[in-house]
Amino acid sequence: MNPKIERSLYIVVILVLAFVLFTLGKKEVELKKQIPITAEELYKKLSNPKIKVQIIDVRELTSSDEVGGYEDSRIPGALPFPNCDESKMTTENLKEALKRINPYVYTVIVSTDGNQEIFKKCASKFTNVQNLAGGMKAWQDAGLPDESGEYTPPKAGGGGGCL
Amino acid sequence: MSMTERLLFWIAIIVLIAATFGVKGKVDNLEKQLSQASQQQPANGGNQQ
Repeated sequence: MNPKIERSLYIVVILVLAFVLFTLGKKEVELKKQIPITAEELYKKLSNPKIKVQIIDVRELTSSDEVGGYEDSRIPGALPFPNCDESKMTTENLKEALKRINPYVYTVIVSTDGNQEIFKKCASKFTNVQNLAGGMKAWQDAGLPDESGEYTPPKAGGGGGCL
Repeated sequence: MSMTERLLFWIAIIVLIAATFGVKGKVDNLEKQLSQASQQQPANGGNQQ
């Protein structure tokens, strides 16, 4: 066979396979968005240092309800992003948190009770995102570790978000 | 076209096929989970009503 034709054939096959892989990858991300992650599954992922997970807490900073706000009780390492609204990120610490939010990293959205509407609003800002089923309430009910207090950016050189 | 070039093309094709099957498996699994979740939701809704 003519080497040029043979080479072109190989390249076409590789391009077709790459396209199929890309399409399936996109479908996987879309499907993941529709399936919420449970508190136990998230805990397992957070315990695995090989998996990079970004947790975005969309609750208000303080709240009088049973679950509380971000500063009352949160998943360790969670970044505050109240209501997924940039205009609410007014203090220095919140502005620093906003800078740390990476839209291209696998992200889990944490609301009070896993509200779908707030999740849909936030999901548009991230490429690979899942909702926490039952929200912070489910995390607390499962007795999983949490932390409290005002958000403080991790110091340079230090790790963050470990359980 | 040299044998080395041909071999490299075949390695690329095999890696892509393996990755495609891997992702396809994940997609099938997610579709199954989604259909199970959507079957549970109407059942729960029915109980509530």
